[in-house]
Amino acid sequence: MNNIVMPSDKPPEITSTDETSLLVIVLDSNPGQKMLKDNPHILTHCVDSVIAFANCHLMQKSQNKLAIMACHSKASYFIYPGPGKPLDVRQVDGQYEVFTAVEKTTKQNLSKLLSSENSTVVTESLLAGAMAMALCYIARMQRTKPLGAKLNCRILVVTGSGCSASQYMNYMNVFFTAQKQCVVIDVCALDQHLSLLQQGCDITNGLYLKVPQLQGLLQYLLWVFLPEPPVREKLVLPPPVKVDYRAACFCHRELIDIGYVCSVCLSIFCKFSPICTTCHTVFKMPAPLAVKPKKKKIKL
Amino acid sequence: MADNGLSSSNHESTLIKPTNLECKNLYDYLKTRPSNVLERLYNHPTICLAVYRELPELARQYVIRILFVEQPVPQAVVASWGSQAFSKEHVYVSKVLTELAVWQEAAIPGGLLGWILSPTFKRNLKVALLGGGKAWSMSSALEADSKARDVTFLDAYSLERWECVLHYMVGSQQQEGISADAIVRRKSGIFLLQYLDTVEERGLDLVECLTFLFQLSFSTLGKDYSTEGMSPGLLVFLQHLREFGLVYQRKRKAGRFYPTRLALNITCTQNKGVTNIEEDSPKGYIIVETNYRVYAYTDSNLQVALIGLFTDLMYRFPNLVVGVITRESVRQAFRGGITADQIIGYLKQHAHPQMLQVDNRQPLPPTVVDQIKLWEMERNRLTYNEGVLYSQFLSQADFNVLKEYAQSNGSLIWCNKEKRTLVINKHAHDDVKKFWKRYSKGN
Amino acid sequence: MGDEDDAKEYRWETGYEKTWEAIKEDDEGFLEASVADIIQKAKRKRQALKQGSQKLGMMRHLYLILDCSDSMSSQDLKPTRLLCTLKLLEIFIEEFFDQNPISQIGIIIMHNKRAEKISDLAGNGRKHIKYVNTLNQTSLIGEPSLQNGLEMALSSLKLLPSHASREILVIMGSLTTCDPGDINVTIENLKQEGIRCSIIGLAAEVHVCRYLAKETGGTYNVILDDSHFKDLLFEQVDPPPAAGCLESSLIKMGFPHQINVEGSEEPLTMCMCHVDSTSEGSKLTTGGYYCPQCFSKYCELPVECRACGLTLVSAPHLARSYHHLFPAANYTEINFDKQVALCFACQRQFGESDKQIYECPKCKKNILHRL
Repeated sequence: MNNIVMPSDKPPEITSTDETSLLVIVLDSNPGQKMLKDNPHILTHCVDSVIAFANCHLMQKSQNKLAIMACHSKASYFIYPGPGKPLDVRQVDGQYEVFTAVEKTTKQNLSKLLSSENSTVVTESLLAGAMAMALCYIARMQRTKPLGAKLNCRILVVTGSGCSASQYMNYMNVFFTAQKQCVVIDVCALDQHLSLLQQGCDITNGLYLKVPQLQGLLQYLLWVFLPEPPVREKLVLPPPVKVDYRAACFCHRELIDIGYVCSVCLSIFCKFSPICTTCHTVFKMPAPLAVKPKKKKIKL
Repeated sequence: MADNGLSSSNHESTLIKPTNLECKNLYDYLKTRPSNVLERLYNHPTICLAVYRELPELARQYVIRILFVEQPVPQAVVASWGSQAFSKEHVYVSKVLTELAVWQEAAIPGGLLGWILSPTFKRNLKVALLGGGKAWSMSSALEADSKARDVTFLDAYSLERWECVLHYMVGSQQQEGISADAIVRRKSGIFLLQYLDTVEERGLDLVECLTFLFQLSFSTLGKDYSTEGMSPGLLVFLQHLREFGLVYQRKRKAGRFYPTRLALNITCTQNKGVTNIEEDSPKGYIIVETNYRVYAYTDSNLQVALIGLFTDLMYRFPNLVVGVITRESVRQAFRGGITADQIIGYLKQHAHPQMLQVDNRQPLPPTVVDQIKLWEMERNRLTYNEGVLYSQFLSQADFNVLKEYAQSNGSLIWCNKEKRTLVINKHAHDDVKKFWKRYSKGN
Repeated sequence: MGDEDDAKEYRWETGYEKTWEAIKEDDEGFLEASVADIIQKAKRKRQALKQGSQKLGMMRHLYLILDCSDSMSSQDLKPTRLLCTLKLLEIFIEEFFDQNPISQIGIIIMHNKRAEKISDLAGNGRKHIKYVNTLNQTSLIGEPSLQNGLEMALSSLKLLPSHASREILVIMGSLTTCDPGDINVTIENLKQEGIRCSIIGLAAEVHVCRYLAKETGGTYNVILDDSHFKDLLFEQVDPPPAAGCLESSLIKMGFPHQINVEGSEEPLTMCMCHVDSTSEGSKLTTGGYYCPQCFSKYCELPVECRACGLTLVSAPHLARSYHHLFPAANYTEINFDKQVALCFACQRQFGESDKQIYECPKCKKNILHRL
């Protein structure tokens, strides 16, 4: 609004994204996931990579913030900053003490968690729940920040488990909430392709990457996920993969091109049925004339 | 009032020597250092970390990408990382990285040119990030402090120390206060740079001191650190920092010290616009209204005095002062050597959260900001031009010829027909002189 | 205001409410905490109510009838009633399509005793917002005609299939209406068709509005100020319970996906949505959504295929509505008695000020906070 340009004013700097950014990493450490069942040692490698990546995030700017969560089959926990007082960490080598604190706290809390885990192995991880918790955490940080400050928030999910359709509703609620809160969701798939989470990335403008080989996990993380969303446009990153937004029908769980949707509960069916299996509504039969030609086309 | 103001403006100029005026941030400071000093500096993980954080956004990404690569990366490949629309930024970033000797050119078999990180920088940044190497000098193990100090105490302490230093520097009670407190953080940076220049004269090692300073900036607020194993020089330096309020020590020989908020912010002089996200950071207290009234919720005498420098104080309550910004009050501040930008910067920096709520980029009413700037411009009605006086022309014709020539190439500053005198821009003097010689020869 | 649906007793006949006793000062003499508490309780109450009704009208077809008469130029809302309304409508439309992606809106204005259709029922929020923005140029003249407005909406809504939820939202600034015939007949017709009419009054309560709302199952409220106006408007965002005569049926829908043949470049094509618009002509692009039935291309969803009439949506559009239909379970409120130190979700420490905390009924983890 200042129309008067003082001679002493310098032209603005080329780069300036001087905003604080908060990164919440959701690490799937469920020992039941397929990848870890085959080879439990991978977890150490993943944890190391994630910690190094997290420290790189903190290294970017002094005011950057970080939280790490571990996601299991029954519940999710914050492992950094963990519950209780921060660890009193003294330097042992040339590492920056904040980084040492991140590493020690994370590893300590994670091992505590893994040892308390009982042996019943469930393959499914509660990723949606973990993301919801991350959103709560972000909402709190947004609430308590000083007025006028800007906080860019994002969530990075690192997981080797598949996405299960049973959490579909939870996932969608999380994605839409994140979209509303302007929280970006990034997903780094370690083992299987995750079509549901990919949709989430697309909805929230995040990035999705299926790591081709686990060995180079840290490099993949640093290259793709380290740049914050405002910086991403300045870099050439893997182009967004076209997301398959087709719906799966409720009856056979198959992706369909054309389907029938219940007007009451929006359940999706691949064939016409006179009664909705979800809400038990009885449907009016469509006029035969309208139906026949359409049905033919489906078979094409 | 006037001579008082004059004296304080003198202070301002003696405080900051022109050589260092340019060095507003770490980048500018390091750029001017010779490469062998840089190489020595990069031997310390702390400095690598600090330099890394001062790099532009894109540069930081580049460094991270080649941090774990052992061979040089072709320049063309690096250029392809940035998107087309930001190629200018890429060029700028490459320049910065080269100037700071963070990366260097290297030939790749096949005749291509590539970039490779400076080996020292790479090694020590990795140490800072992943561990290894020697511990920092101040991190020896300590037993718990029986009289541990909390953050609020340290904040109060550092503020008090700074006030002392400022009062000392000014020699008077409050006159100079504003330019210092207004931008304490930036100022403390500049001030320290100034101090660092004298460090070597005092027989201290520059690299050692710088390293320590950066270590300090990476320490945690409210945590105590050990002085064990520090060199005698460094201990002297620590005492100096203690004087400035950058660290707190109960006793000279206490064996431990606490860094204060000032120390933490010493290296991020560049991003002074950043608002701290911490829940315990000090809050702003000033409200400025479009009717030029200033409400300051404070009970600190120093703050009241500062406000009083450029406002007419109207009311004073236990926790609130009300003043009004007038042309006279602002001009008085100008006469004292305070600039409009400093006043605006001060008001902005301490703006009440309520004002930030409306628009955090520009919390002050634009009319007030513009008016303060206008009042300042009012004082700068004279413009200075270096010129050469031509006089004693023999004839009006000669005068006219020269006047027209000077006018045609835009170097005429002033002329008087009656007295036949001209003032010509100094840069054009040679040219005009030649013309005159040619002209007089022709005649 | 008129929150009670049964207007059997007048306000002065209802029980003696000591409204001031609900508000208590806290230790420092502030009222904020107490007021926040009341708002919080009201929120919880609304939340709890949501669980009950299962059948909602999901495919909404809503006509906004906006008063553009002389009375809208009044300045009791800043800057004027009209400008304030338009600004809120903009947010409302965005929010509406955000929450009801497969629904449609149409806009009608009433001025100078006439009704005028500004935009037809359509599902594109941006277009409607554009129309709304042009409305600030309208001349505010004469009286509104409620009947004409309703009749126009009725004639359009009548044609819709029976499974569609049909609604009208009237924003009324005037205290009078100038009608050509008997408005009771129109109201009767609306009732017959099962069209739900809600009215937001900007001035004062009017009998005919209350009657209309009551007969058709809608709500009628008069605003207190602009923030109350916004609240009332946003109440309309959530889908209403399905009208009694709403028939249910299976609707055929297409789920287009981007056709992606490995290794081959997608051909440049034009999209159907912009093909005949004059302002922004259709551009040749590669991406897009193809109707699975007739392969016409569209650049955004949801849309009704112009060629074959199939409704094209994507799975998240349907999913967005699911939280209305299958709302998440409510937390149970428990008194805070230092059972736990940290909020499970956001890791905040429970402090003295937290009197109530919430507990998940399933896993018994404690959550702080206003939801």
